[in-house]
Amino acid sequence: MFKKKIFSTIAGLSMLASGVSLAGSMGAVDEPIKLAVNEWTGQHITTHVAGEILKRAGYNVEYVTAGYYPQMTAIQDNTVTATLEIWSSNIGEHYDEAVASGQAKELGDLGLVPVETWMYNDAAAKACPGLPDWNALNACADKFANADTFPKGRLVDYPADWGTSNVDRIKGLNLDYVSVPAGSEGALIAEMKGAEAKNTPLLVMFWAPHWVQAVIPLNIVALPAYEEGCHDDPAVGVNPNATWDCDWSRGYIKKMAWAGMEDKWPAAHAILEAYTLRNEDQIPMMNAIDQEGKKLDDVVRQWVDNNEAIWKPWVDAAKG
Amino acid sequence: MNSLHQRKERFSLFAWVAVAIFGSVFLFQRDLADWVTQYPEAWTLPAATWANIGMDWFVDHFRWLFRAISWLLTWPMDAILGLLTWLPWPTTISLFIGIAFVAGGWPLALFTLFALLYMVGIGYWTESMRTLALVAVSVPLSVLVGFGLGVSAWRSERANRLVQPLLDLMQTVPTFAYLIPILLLFGFGPVVGMIASAIYACPPMVRSTVLGLQRVPEETVESGIMSGASSGQLFWWVRFPSALPTILVGVNQSTMAALSMVIIAAIIGSSADIGWEVLSTMRRANFGESLLAGIVVALIAMLLDRITRGFAQDNQRSKRAFSLSPRLILGIAGATALSFLLLSLSVTELSEFPDQWVFYPAAQINAAILFFTVEFGAALDQIKNGFLFFFLLPLRIGLENTIRPFTWGFDLTLTMKISYLIACVSLSLLGGYRYGWRVAVAIGIATVLLYFGIERMPWPAMVALLVTLAWQAGGTRVGLFTLAGLAFMLVTGVWSLGVRSLYLCFAAVLVSFIIGGSLGIWASQSDRVSRLVRPINDTLQTMPLFVLLIPILMFFQVGEFTAFLAIIAYAIVPAIRYTEHGLRHVNNEVIEAAIASGCTPLQILWQVRLPLAIPEIMLGLNQTIMFGLAMLIIAALVGTQGLGQAVYVALGQANFGEGLVAGLGIAFIAMSADRIIQAVSAGKKRALGIK
Repeated sequence: MFKKKIFSTIAGLSMLASGVSLAGSMGAVDEPIKLAVNEWTGQHITTHVAGEILKRAGYNVEYVTAGYYPQMTAIQDNTVTATLEIWSSNIGEHYDEAVASGQAKELGDLGLVPVETWMYNDAAAKACPGLPDWNALNACADKFANADTFPKGRLVDYPADWGTSNVDRIKGLNLDYVSVPAGSEGALIAEMKGAEAKNTPLLVMFWAPHWVQAVIPLNIVALPAYEEGCHDDPAVGVNPNATWDCDWSRGYIKKMAWAGMEDKWPAAHAILEAYTLRNEDQIPMMNAIDQEGKKLDDVVRQWVDNNEAIWKPWVDAAKG
Repeated sequence: MNSLHQRKERFSLFAWVAVAIFGSVFLFQRDLADWVTQYPEAWTLPAATWANIGMDWFVDHFRWLFRAISWLLTWPMDAILGLLTWLPWPTTISLFIGIAFVAGGWPLALFTLFALLYMVGIGYWTESMRTLALVAVSVPLSVLVGFGLGVSAWRSERANRLVQPLLDLMQTVPTFAYLIPILLLFGFGPVVGMIASAIYACPPMVRSTVLGLQRVPEETVESGIMSGASSGQLFWWVRFPSALPTILVGVNQSTMAALSMVIIAAIIGSSADIGWEVLSTMRRANFGESLLAGIVVALIAMLLDRITRGFAQDNQRSKRAFSLSPRLILGIAGATALSFLLLSLSVTELSEFPDQWVFYPAAQINAAILFFTVEFGAALDQIKNGFLFFFLLPLRIGLENTIRPFTWGFDLTLTMKISYLIACVSLSLLGGYRYGWRVAVAIGIATVLLYFGIERMPWPAMVALLVTLAWQAGGTRVGLFTLAGLAFMLVTGVWSLGVRSLYLCFAAVLVSFIIGGSLGIWASQSDRVSRLVRPINDTLQTMPLFVLLIPILMFFQVGEFTAFLAIIAYAIVPAIRYTEHGLRHVNNEVIEAAIASGCTPLQILWQVRLPLAIPEIMLGLNQTIMFGLAMLIIAALVGTQGLGQAVYVALGQANFGEGLVAGLGIAFIAMSADRIIQAVSAGKKRALGIK
């Protein structure tokens, strides 16, 4: 507590001295800024690129492995200083709670464009030629059925703990399908690998950007487009009597930091606030790591070396 | 005496008839009212919410204390982590070989060399050392705490009454469920993962300490008193040394438990150790990678198991005749280690194992799995469908709903229904006529369950059935305990999830016990089979099972059958072990008497060995159930529904109350089953006149 006060005093003094903004002061360069590393490769890249940039700006960075939901508690007391890839679609109320506590705050969009919806493999495209139109799904239900779900089709769904709305969506769209929660990301991917090897049709709830799309081609089902209000107003959407009768909303991906970061490491805070990463940056790196077996550090260092034009301005502006 | 027994029998029969009538009334009236099939939500209590409120208060007031503990533990953890990752690999290997040699001689030293070389060669050295650091802090911690608790439980009857149920809960509430409070109280990160595994590893240590101290012979204590020992001396110089062998068994068990938590600890934060490696490769469904990492965990487990067991036995036996003294060996190992340390300053290959020396056959393993999936896809599907249509589905939703043209090839007609009824009744009567009315009742219940399905049984009928079963098998106390557990599940609103778990576990335990028991019998008859089975058992028990989930998933897809197989893979081990052990350790004099009276080997097996081994086999059944329930949670990762999934979801959302309620549901199932089987086993022992 005492330490924190000193730092905020220093930060305040430096603000007075420079007379412009909080940015400009480096803050506690000796203490490590802790960046959360979650469960998937894309997030590792996002985090390590940011970490590398912070290091080159003169900071001390530590990577902390953290569960996706548990990190929302950790970020409230600087056990984790920042986490950089929060998907709006499946963080649920934890994000709101963390922000409401006043101990954590949003750092703006990361810039990745996420797609989360139903997808199908090439074998399914062959078995059900009416796709990607969602209206074709009911006629093909038996193609997607297995012993557990027959005669209904099978939608391999997100794990139950990721919070998914597909049960309501199936009802809202009057589809003869059953949502089968997969239990984990590994289970989803094992399903895809198995279906690809056996060349059997598969309908799966999934997301992009993801490395698996580089190995297994996945096509997107054209569900009725998302409209504001469709999730709670029956009148909105294709089915006048039901809610959830539309696609997943195309969400956004956010960055987040511990509320005290701005005082403690002003320039680092400004850098992370400015930091963005595009799909076309992330996907090739994911592929290099997961498929070509390259080391995360090497891939990230190479990107940072080659893209100084992108990140240098963030650092310069932050150091002001 | 005899008439009392008869009256008791008549009373039991009467009870079962009452249950049958009660059950059928509900079964046939289940369309009458909704509350018969579905326990009404209005009758439930918001126990989860209350628990959350209580927990929030506790966290607000006491978090500082727990945070302080975890901050304190950061120091030893960082120190050991720093040391183990800094030491050059040949140095660490030399030291370990030295210790292994002292504990178990040449064979163990060789095994140690092989295991550690594997970790280096596969490129997981740093990760392995991080895991080792975690265990190196958590095991001493849980040994100390466990010893303290054990001594206080042994000293005071009141403490014991407090500790025993706590131990029962700690060992039956699924680990996922108590990760939530740990997360809320201790925070987050590698140290917290270490604390979680220390807590999990505590109960075996407490139990062994209590047991060891209780078993110290009176004469030993008396001779201590006679030679004028003070009470402190009496404890540390007399009781403690004589209880030490049992206590050391506890240390061994604690080590194993701590290691089995490595993966789960990684979920709430880890230092990029092997657990994290297994977890993240599993999330990518990279079987090869996770198998290679999983083997490291298995090797560390076997290594620590053999070493701690070696020391435990060493202590029991009088000093073995060493050709080399332990001090000399450790000296040699230390000198080698030191010279490697000095060498590593100039030879970089020694300080850090070079990447190009790494042998990492993950891609080949993955290719083999893919090949297998493609080649045998159709056959695998048939196996799965067979099990689903003819075993799992009838059990869950009943024959009534399973028999369809898609599944069995035809529809269920009225004639078939009537013939099923006639067949069941006559089978039950035949059974009753030949083996007594209990068998008739059992057949009756089984056929009714099979027709209607466990999940579709009205809850009042189910409660009546289970409570009567528990009461008849284990007496009034067990019956009341079971009633309390079932009422808990009803009132907290997790009944239907509980039934789902009960069904899946029952199916998996049944199959595990039949297959495992047969394998155990076979292994007891043939040394070759026994030698073959043992390493498989060791691997299944020490290898993190998350690893095995991936190929099972690729072969059989997400669903019940996959979870069913995953549970069997784990729960079959005790069934095999205990059956073999029980059959092999039947009193020799009895066998000799049987041989002398001219029994054939087959007769000896079926009519002498098996009946005498029943208590041991029952213990195996008990363990099979415990393992099955433990695995239920992990099976949630491949998509089961039920209490396991509920706990998992609660963990994801850090919802303490939901996790606690679902976890307690599982704990109640486990403890009821445990008490029923203990009671039956004790009765059998009494009947057989074995102690």
